[in-house]
Amino acid sequence: MSTQSDQSLTVADVMLTMDACPVADERTILKEVLEAMDKHRLGVVCIVDQAMHLTGILTEGDVRRKLLRVQKPLAALLADDVITHAVKSPISITADVQLMDALDLMGEKKIWDLPVVDADMKVVGLLHLHQAIRGVLDTLQQS
Amino acid sequence: MTNKTIHLRSSHFDEIQIGHGKDLVLIAGPCAIESRDHSMRMAEMIGGVCDKLGVRWIFKACYDKDCRSSPSSFHGLGLDDGLQILADVREAHGVPVTSDFSDPSWGPATGEVCDMVQVPAYLCRQTSMLRAAAATGKPVHLKKGQFMSPWNMKNSCRKLEAFGNDQILLTDRGTFFGYNMLVNDMRCFPIMQETGYPVCYDATHSIQLPTSMGNISGGQREFIPHLTRAAAACGIEALFMEVHDDPPNAMSDANTVLDFKYLEVVLAQAKAMHEMRQELRAKWGEDNVHPE
Repeated sequence: MSTQSDQSLTVADVMLTMDACPVADERTILKEVLEAMDKHRLGVVCIVDQAMHLTGILTEGDVRRKLLRVQKPLAALLADDVITHAVKSPISITADVQLMDALDLMGEKKIWDLPVVDADMKVVGLLHLHQAIRGVLDTLQQS
Repeated sequence: MTNKTIHLRSSHFDEIQIGHGKDLVLIAGPCAIESRDHSMRMAEMIGGVCDKLGVRWIFKACYDKDCRSSPSSFHGLGLDDGLQILADVREAHGVPVTSDFSDPSWGPATGEVCDMVQVPAYLCRQTSMLRAAAATGKPVHLKKGQFMSPWNMKNSCRKLEAFGNDQILLTDRGTFFGYNMLVNDMRCFPIMQETGYPVCYDATHSIQLPTSMGNISGGQREFIPHLTRAAAACGIEALFMEVHDDPPNAMSDANTVLDFKYLEVVLAQAKAMHEMRQELRAKWGEDNVHPE
């Protein structure tokens, strides 16, 4: 599916910028993080420390697996710090990476979302599979 | 979550630390300050037992019991006289002192005198109370409300932290089980420890039968030893007990205070259980049989 023009697309061209990217502090309770997912209509939240460094990622799938495994009352689960349930040190990418390389990575890892970070591991956006595919398709149609 | 240690510091006594891996600390005294002489006598008596057993302790007595069931029940000596007595006890016995307070406006004066301030269980989620407690700058002894789940105590901790105080001791004093009955859910301790703050067991209020006698509370003191040993085995870092030398004539909580003559036998066993728990932790590690 590669073309000359889509090779020039980078992650920065299609990623969700911070205003559209759900981000939560490590100590935010799980209930509020689920609300953030709901608000942004995404199944993922980037977990950050106070300096916005990426420390984890929590997906709907993580919550689903936790619900099946942890026999806590729902009120107790919802009161947990989100970092307790997050995937620590998640896969991430930088904004200058070619979009096709990012798509390759997402396919290889079977993930729908990739946190985008700068050189200091600070979150600058989120690459969501839908936007990535839309970017590629738009480029193909234009060419 | 990083384990936190709370520190009681004053020129009147050597620093006391309450936290993970530290020695068990006792918080004890009569429920209410009945008189200067009685407080001094109780401090002398409890201090003697603690010295004998090698247990650091904090003298606790309240100057105003605002949660009494009847308007005719003894409320206490009041803010000014009560705090002066607590200051005198600390001066005379070199022991830290603490009292609860039931109105935010009492916070500054309480914090001025007390080395730790206590928020009553019924008020454990009141923002104005937590703001006042935090503002004292002293460690805050926060009792879990009888109506609260242990995991929801995190919300109260977050309020204290937001108001600038992260010196918190969390105590279980029983959970309502239907009407006029409390039970101890021993899961409270590891659950509240997930906040990182040390936890305490209130051995005398836990056996209370709240307002079971119409206009006062009853109690089942016979269970104090059993429940105290169980709590110590669960890994508490402090033990709270109201102690009186003449329970039938105690002016507050006469049906739940521990008779002083039993203090040594209960405290010695709690200390032994605590030390055994520490040894077991050193040998076998932290409890983690179901990692999430």
